[in-house]
Amino acid sequence: MRKIIDHDLLTLLSRILIGGMFVYASFYKIIEPGSFAKSIWYYHLVPGDLINLMAIILPWVELLVGLALVVGLAYRGAVLWANLMLVMFIVALLSTIARGINIDCGCFQAAASGTHSAWWSLLFDIGAMALTVQLWLSSSRRWMLGRA
Amino acid sequence: MHKKQGGVGLFFDTGHFPGAPEYNLYILTQNGIFERNMIRQAILILVISVVAGGLANTFSPNRIPYIGQYRQLTGGEGIVKPPEAQAGDPPFMDLTTAQVEFGAHSSLFVDARVRDEFECGTIPGAINIPFEDLPEEHVDTYLDSALNHAGKDTPLIAFCSGEECDASLHLGRNLALYGYTHVSIFFGGAREWEKAGLDMERRKQCGK
Repeated sequence: MRKIIDHDLLTLLSRILIGGMFVYASFYKIIEPGSFAKSIWYYHLVPGDLINLMAIILPWVELLVGLALVVGLAYRGAVLWANLMLVMFIVALLSTIARGINIDCGCFQAAASGTHSAWWSLLFDIGAMALTVQLWLSSSRRWMLGRA
Repeated sequence: MHKKQGGVGLFFDTGHFPGAPEYNLYILTQNGIFERNMIRQAILILVISVVAGGLANTFSPNRIPYIGQYRQLTGGEGIVKPPEAQAGDPPFMDLTTAQVEFGAHSSLFVDARVRDEFECGTIPGAINIPFEDLPEEHVDTYLDSALNHAGKDTPLIAFCSGEECDASLHLGRNLALYGYTHVSIFFGGAREWEKAGLDMERRKQCGK
């Protein structure tokens, strides 16, 4: 098991997949902070005063974390953020399911009154979480720009 | 666990940092679940994001105020209104009023969601006019036909899923714009209705 987790190629693949996902997810949010703020509001989890601040800052965290994972700079910090964000997304999605709020997740485009089940987003996030946990545990530090 | 003095933190074990002084950021582990580097780098990423986000928002054509005005979920207490409600919008009604109107059969409930959601569960007797499907032209004729030629003075109550959805607001505005004189919006929508334990009309079974 340890060998698999520490596998250099697997670690690189996880970095590229998770990093790429975060970079991609950050684009619409950076370009349209208003839409993203509304997506956050739909969840009814964040206090109103903090929604816009979150909409302004979080996409940049996603972008930097994504880039850091791919190139391997500030790598361990990026791994911590990736795990924190995915836990946050999963909790948020679970809460919408529990409360019966029907919305798209707002992960990659502005959320709307949903036609998609939150379960799919949840499954996706859990899959991504498996990779970020692997990154957390892996001791592989190959193909990185910085010294982790 | 090493002893620590003062400070606050998550977990603590300074043992993994030989030579390190008593350290205020506590780390739990065997090998350190949180390594020191990890937390330092995470803070660095946050600081850069705050600066970059602040700068980007200052210069972006799509900038938003740092503090927004948002309403929290009301849980069915009182009238639910969308944050983008404007003066001149059709009046918003609360659950109790919607129930009274429903019981009195005095109004026509209009579900503004897409067909699929409408069929999954709606207020009994509601008709479906998906806001998304409103045509660009001849809206008047379209609405008239969708409403089965109901008179312009028929009391109409537009609704959609609930607070997370604004189709009811937009449909309500359009109905008023095209001459319907008694339009209201039940913004709590199907979710508030269902949550109150009221009957739902389901045309098909849908998973949550």
